[in-house]
Amino acid sequence: MLNIDIREVLRYLGYRGIRETDPGLAALIESCMADVQKACSPRSVCRSFPLEKVTDNECVFAGLQVKSRNLAKNLRSCTEVVMMAVTIGSGTDQLIRRAELTNVLQAYVYQAVGAAACEALAEEVDQTIRQEALSRGLYARPRFSPGYGDLSLEMQLDFERILQMRKIAGISLNESLLMTPTKSVTAIIGLSPEPRECHKAGCEECTLAGNCPYSRV
Amino acid sequence: MRKDLRERLGKEWLFFDGGMGSLLQEKGLKGGELPERWNLTHPDIIRELHESYLRAGSDIFNANTFGLNSLKFPGETGELVKAAIRIAKEARTAAGREDAYIALDIGPTGKLLEPMGDLSFDRAVELYAEVMKTGASEGADLIMIETMSDTYETKAAVLAAKENTDLPVIVTCVFDEKGKMLTGGTVDAAVAMLEGLGVDALGMNCGLGPVQMYALAARMVERASVPVVINPNAGLPRSENGRTVYDVGPDEFTEAMVKIAGLGIQAAGGCCGTTPAHITKVVEAFRKIPFTPAVPKNHTVVTSFSTAVTAGEKPVIVGERINPTGKKKFKEALRANDIDYILSQGLEQEEAGADILDVNVGLPEIDEPAMMKTVVTRLQGVTGLPLQLDTTDMQALEQGLRYYNGKAMVNSVNGKDEVIGQVMPLVKKYGGVLVGLTLDENGIPDTAEGRVAIAEKIYQAADRYGIPRKDIVIDGLCLTISSDTSAASVTLETVRRIREDYNGHTILGVSNVSFGLPQRQMINSTFLTMAVTKGLSFAIMNPNSLQMMAAYRTCLALSGQDPQCVGFIEAYGREDAPVLTVTSSAADASAVKTKEQGKAGMTLTSAIEKGLTGLASSLMKEALQNADPLQIINEQLIPALDKVGQGFEKGTIFLPQLLMSADAAKAAFEEAKAFMADSPQDKKGTIIVATVKGDIHDIGKNIVKVMLENYGYDVIDLGKDVPPETIVQCAIDHKVRLVGLSALMTTTVVGMEETIRLLREKKPDTLVMVGGAVLTQEYADMIGADHYAKDAMATVRYADEVFADA
Repeated sequence: MLNIDIREVLRYLGYRGIRETDPGLAALIESCMADVQKACSPRSVCRSFPLEKVTDNECVFAGLQVKSRNLAKNLRSCTEVVMMAVTIGSGTDQLIRRAELTNVLQAYVYQAVGAAACEALAEEVDQTIRQEALSRGLYARPRFSPGYGDLSLEMQLDFERILQMRKIAGISLNESLLMTPTKSVTAIIGLSPEPRECHKAGCEECTLAGNCPYSRV
Repeated sequence: MRKDLRERLGKEWLFFDGGMGSLLQEKGLKGGELPERWNLTHPDIIRELHESYLRAGSDIFNANTFGLNSLKFPGETGELVKAAIRIAKEARTAAGREDAYIALDIGPTGKLLEPMGDLSFDRAVELYAEVMKTGASEGADLIMIETMSDTYETKAAVLAAKENTDLPVIVTCVFDEKGKMLTGGTVDAAVAMLEGLGVDALGMNCGLGPVQMYALAARMVERASVPVVINPNAGLPRSENGRTVYDVGPDEFTEAMVKIAGLGIQAAGGCCGTTPAHITKVVEAFRKIPFTPAVPKNHTVVTSFSTAVTAGEKPVIVGERINPTGKKKFKEALRANDIDYILSQGLEQEEAGADILDVNVGLPEIDEPAMMKTVVTRLQGVTGLPLQLDTTDMQALEQGLRYYNGKAMVNSVNGKDEVIGQVMPLVKKYGGVLVGLTLDENGIPDTAEGRVAIAEKIYQAADRYGIPRKDIVIDGLCLTISSDTSAASVTLETVRRIREDYNGHTILGVSNVSFGLPQRQMINSTFLTMAVTKGLSFAIMNPNSLQMMAAYRTCLALSGQDPQCVGFIEAYGREDAPVLTVTSSAADASAVKTKEQGKAGMTLTSAIEKGLTGLASSLMKEALQNADPLQIINEQLIPALDKVGQGFEKGTIFLPQLLMSADAAKAAFEEAKAFMADSPQDKKGTIIVATVKGDIHDIGKNIVKVMLENYGYDVIDLGKDVPPETIVQCAIDHKVRLVGLSALMTTTVVGMEETIRLLREKKPDTLVMVGGAVLTQEYADMIGADHYAKDAMATVRYADEVFADA
């Protein structure tokens, strides 16, 4: 069972600053959450690599030379890099496709619940990595994904190849580098010997901040 | 010299080789480097590896061709395949093992097939065919399709092999510990599909170690009639300093493999992490174990990509509603290419309890083969139920069989020689469970003897075409008792004799029996019960009928086919379960009360604002008794919608509520529309909506569609991943003034820009509004859109502006 946060579901549904929902809607969300839990077949893959070099705008690891100021900033002082990919599987995509035929609202709620479920899975894997690193005296930086800030989405191709994403996790890329199952996440987590109380990530780092209806900030 | 592999396979122990990639990494292959390139750069290392496996005792070894295809190696695939086979031949000679077989090793393409991904089935077949043709002409002895995790891609590979070579084909798939392939296929489903396609042996490899594979191997042996091959990894992978390592050594591996040998498999080897040392030990150990040949099994199995339905476990319900016969709305949907309607008919039957869906999409005025392909592929995207392809058009049948992801049921063949000659070769090629109607050139025999004789003829024809008898299901046919009261007993006797004398399976369309009589469901449901007691395996019926399902579930409970009555209690144990307790249909209708109706004192306006669909439509119905529909729409419905829309724009109401209100308004509209059926409503205008090429997110676009429709627009929804040309052509064909484009990713906004450019060029009077998560006003301006709509309501407002002057 994934620990799906209902507040995240509401955020994906476009609710901001409100926790009361209509009882009919609350029942729909609840039943969609149960369906998504049942349809989930979570898979993940991660591998860690030494961070060979990091400058202001470039990081070198896993045989890659990644040009990105934002990622370089995120990985400053790190010595290791974990590449991860997770997916809740294609079951939720099927639920969405089915609901699209009969009830758009339900499709929309499945969409939101699926996103929250995938986030929960990513968080779970993230925590495992965090704990394992801590046992070796390393501190994990916030997750950073291709497409965040100036990190190119092209990096999805490196994830696919290096993590054998398709074979191990069942995640495929299409020509536009979008993932199938759609409820999948790829991310980089830097590990550093220096503790840093900074969990700035996601929305806070996004170029759309302030413009996005789903923003946390 | 080498014996024909087919002579040895399944008759003696045969051994495969072990890991290749993991050993090449030890020799210096980099993480991201493609091993097939080493055929040119490091041929000596590849050859030595082959030799060491041959010396270890491998009888079948894989040429270094696993990942070769023109997607990964454009322009050099042929050369690399040739090099790989040449190296393999050299190794065979050097090792003095001319008796060994070179397998052309075939792996996944690396791309996901349509409709989930963007590689077409035909293209996949083509990619595989290219490698296989070269491999076969260079001298490969067999085709080894392995590490497959998607049944659809596996089917493409097997078809490519069968259509382009005569070589033996062996297929091994990857399963996880729960016994599922990545795309959801079970062992039962994979075995049935592969045997249907005519593979020479099948099994599993990779993913798991021998210990984890044990239970799955047992299931495979239980289900498979062809020889079973087990090639596990050396345990489960572990990551160590960025490298993947496997921990199970040769002794431990062999110990586990010996246990698997005892299950009755016919061939074994290894996969990732296994080495020549592992294979040496396995060969040594297996030589001491008596060999068991593969035993033919008698399971009649219909499968989808994920689900296997086995006949005889309990009567199988084949839902009959995807069929235009006598259905005006369905015919209209076929003519209008309204696939969504057809799919919704499938989903409804699935909810009601169907096990298999019959698919009949034949109408004289449509292109049935194309429709069959579309409906089959689209149904596979929304349901895991297996399908029964129901057509008399041989091209439509071939299209259905080819693009079906699994082993379909085929409806039907009969005793006519001509029909046998058309249908059976297709079933032989693609696999399938074939329905045989007991009629021939002389019509339908009046007696059970006559019908059984035709069944006998169909069985014998199947023998000639090499279709196993277990894959024939006899339809005893039922004529209406209104013209001949003995009709039902002849049918039932036919069912009984096929079951008892032939140990065969039968199918019946149970509703014909009552044709011409009143209260047909009474007759049909009792007939179903009677047929089941005679041993009926498949019933073609309407699962949406409460009475039929009640008869079915009662029958299972009474005949001991519903352990502890779990199914019965699940269906009828709830307080609100759909049951037949009323005495007349009028009472039945009034008994269906929605909870919403309890909310007294609500107006139509407030019902829409609250999003209460059932109430909105019943209040509309009431209102229509005393007032003009247009007046109600303008004075109550539209203001209610507007109020919700404004709330949404101000941020006091959120999207889900907006959608709920839209749904309620739609239901009320439908009532009004039905009332004014004679005077068609004026539409405010026609708008195209589409998610642009490259993008697969269409929920936002769908929400926009719902809102626009609610506000009285005719919306043409072109779907997702739509090429610019399609959008432009549609705008021209339908003279559309406003196009709405959606894109979710920065990378796909390019597709949006391209569409706008092409529209400006070919149909300059079109206005374009754009929306989607990454879009902003600046972005919209940059790509030359006329309007940026930040949400669904904004599209409505803009459309109203555009069409105000019309």
